[in-house]
Amino acid sequence: MDPDAVAKAFVEHYYRTFDSNRAGLANLYQDGSMLTFEGAKTQGAQAIAAKLASLPFQQCMHNISTVDCQPSGPAGGMVVFVSGSLQLAGEQHPLKFSQMFHLMPTPQGSFYVLNDIFRLNYA
Amino acid sequence: MDPDALAKAFVEHYYRTFDTNRAGLGSLYQEGSMLTFEGAKTQGAQAIVAKLISLPFQQCQHQISTVDCQPSGPAGGMLVFVSGSLQLAGEQHSLKFSQMFHLMPTPQGSFYVLNDIFRLNYA
Repeated sequence: MDPDAVAKAFVEHYYRTFDSNRAGLANLYQDGSMLTFEGAKTQGAQAIAAKLASLPFQQCMHNISTVDCQPSGPAGGMVVFVSGSLQLAGEQHPLKFSQMFHLMPTPQGSFYVLNDIFRLNYA
Repeated sequence: MDPDALAKAFVEHYYRTFDTNRAGLGSLYQEGSMLTFEGAKTQGAQAIVAKLISLPFQQCQHQISTVDCQPSGPAGGMLVFVSGSLQLAGEQHSLKFSQMFHLMPTPQGSFYVLNDIFRLNYA
């Protein structure tokens, strides 16, 4: 599959899952996965899912503006760089964010998130 | 060396070089390096430097707000995620940007940039 198409499909799946079933994100990560969310570091699928479930909002909607990707080296990985905005329920203005994912292939022919870094973009 | 310290040192060196001697960035990339700059893709140190030199401004100054890093896998690489602002000479307002680097170790014990993705963060 074309890398850009893979990246686009992953991004759509990731944010749709985030916005509708946040706990479902856990199977996109593995034991060695790392998340840095606004500077806070977490490791491992369970801890990462717990961190994301604990974020101080119930409902949110991501709107993606840009998706860039590149192959990341001999292991068959891919880096994906996303920017967009995040609308929290009850808030008047959306928040802008950037996020990068480092996806690694699984033996089943899918991808999991090895590295995940999220930052809000303040005005 | 502590990874966070390494990332910080790289970021300082990268943007200082960018702001004072843009052609000097060539030594940070290799043949297989990839740059995606505002969606435009380039590959290889020579082409990347040519792209950066061709950007439509003479002088600029980067101001870094955040630096996040994570190890990127068994090859000893490191992902570095930066956000900050960019002041172009003669422009009244600075531009906000996010950028990610995937650094890979060299045999000499240094790092080079394998992946580089840059995006402006529009208000």
